[in-house]
Amino acid sequence: MASIHPTRAWHSNFRANLVLVALSLFVFMPMLVVFSQSLMTNQEVTRWPPQIIPVNPTLFNYNDVLTRQDLRLDLWLRNSMVAATGHTLAVLVICAPAAYAFARLRFRGSNALFALLLVTIMIPSQVTLIPNYLLMRDLRWLDSFNALVFPGAANVFGVFLLRQFFMQIPHELEEAAVMDGAGYLRRFTRIVLPLSSNALTALAIFVFLGHYNDLFWPFIVTNSLETRTLPVGLTILNSAYGMQYRPMVLAGAVLSTIPILIVYIIFQRRIIQGVTLTGGMGGR
Amino acid sequence: MTGASATPGAGLDRRPSWLPEINLKRQEEIAAWLFLAPFLAFFAIFVGRAMLAAVQMSFYDWHALRPSRPFVAFGNYEELLRDDVFWFALRNTVIFTAMTVAGTTVVALAAALALTQPVRRANFFRVLLYMPSLFSVGAVGLIWVWLLNSQFGVINYGLSFFGIRPVNWLGDPALVLPALSLTTIWWAFGFPMLIFIAGLQGIPEHLYEAARIDGANGRQLFFNITLPLLRPTILFVTVTGVIGHFQVYGQPFIMTNGGPGRSSYTVIFYFYHTAWASFRMGYGAAVAVALAVIMAIVTVVQFLVISRRVEY
Repeated sequence: MASIHPTRAWHSNFRANLVLVALSLFVFMPMLVVFSQSLMTNQEVTRWPPQIIPVNPTLFNYNDVLTRQDLRLDLWLRNSMVAATGHTLAVLVICAPAAYAFARLRFRGSNALFALLLVTIMIPSQVTLIPNYLLMRDLRWLDSFNALVFPGAANVFGVFLLRQFFMQIPHELEEAAVMDGAGYLRRFTRIVLPLSSNALTALAIFVFLGHYNDLFWPFIVTNSLETRTLPVGLTILNSAYGMQYRPMVLAGAVLSTIPILIVYIIFQRRIIQGVTLTGGMGGR
Repeated sequence: MTGASATPGAGLDRRPSWLPEINLKRQEEIAAWLFLAPFLAFFAIFVGRAMLAAVQMSFYDWHALRPSRPFVAFGNYEELLRDDVFWFALRNTVIFTAMTVAGTTVVALAAALALTQPVRRANFFRVLLYMPSLFSVGAVGLIWVWLLNSQFGVINYGLSFFGIRPVNWLGDPALVLPALSLTTIWWAFGFPMLIFIAGLQGIPEHLYEAARIDGANGRQLFFNITLPLLRPTILFVTVTGVIGHFQVYGQPFIMTNGGPGRSSYTVIFYFYHTAWASFRMGYGAAVAVALAVIMAIVTVVQFLVISRRVEY
């Protein structure tokens, strides 16, 4: 095509590049401004016109936000990591066998049960929040990791996604194992799971990110400084210091994104493929 | 002589001698329920029970701090319908959702169209443009509340080059929802962008070639091929967008606390306040059930509007 209409191809490419550069500035400028202002002093930041490039960059704000007594970014980060990891493992352990049953095993009521599960995807999660909160209270799970790990572990979307994937695995592979006398558990763990690492990874990444970034549930089920998660901690940081120490708050925001950015840089291809695969709904 | 081949397939049955003999079909059924058991246990407790309990609670005046919980039938729902604060929160939520879904869809489609052209460094741009979607609402809120600051924010600084005087984005009742919407578009357009890229890649190239041979220009290609064939994708993106953004809570919670006044107070904010600030669990459950009903209606309407005329 390009050889037939060289000018038109150039024209459309030019427009595409223009759109991409404009959107990249829209996306990148806020990050750049916040990062560079997190390296400034309070005086430099509260000045008009605003400074974009720090004259004397300092890590003072990072030190400050990590050492104040009423802020525990280190614990919040650890809590978020541990809770999100535990929750992700729980989702995989619970949902993968269920997905296998729906994909491969014939049992009475299979279709009706699956349809029932799909209907519940349509119901917003807020409906379950109050009863689950009261259950956490009655179990004395408030302020504990259990409250962050187990509710939501029965991830219907996860079952749906894995079932779709398991159904694409050729039956012949399992039949060979049956000939060797493998039972359902062996077929599931030795054949189906290893062949599904892409789907399992995509689901794991999304469940992890969704949980890591969740605000509402951890906000209501945790209440002491030591048990908060990072997103909740950021709101505490903002309401406590947003007025007087803005660069310190910005440093906290930057620090909170670093683990996610590292994960993203390592797994960017899988994450981007995974979004398309999962429809981005693996999280809560 | 007959012992070795008593029943065909007997060698496959590794049943221990103490187990009663069951046929293969029954065995498969038992296996299925064992595979399902952990999931169903969690589902029953945290989803099934919780949903039924919410509906049940919504018919009671269930206050977390009071022992008596009188049955009030539809009393909570009647109160909800009469509550001006709820209606105002719903209005804010609808305005915010409409602006945000329209904005993210347009920006995402523009980005996807650009990224499906043969441009250089397409992967770099795609990775960069998706990046904000990974941030927590906490980080996004902290970033944007400062960018939108009326005194020292760089957005007002940028506008000053066009002769625009400082704007009080988050303090003006008329501007706070657009400002939160802009924040959310920045945060959330990456997901629909990736979905649109997949949708655009699914459109057969020969349709464009045939149309070009017939002399169609770029605009005609877009409106007569791309847009109609993208309709299912647009439906998916807008439906998931409406469902997601209707539940907005974090951005106003962090950036404005629902203010100024109640100008950025949303339905989930209202839900949070009834249940966890006023301790009215029964009334809160009614709010949640009402939210589910509203979202179901909106989704059905969207399906009817967008899937119409999909036959081409």
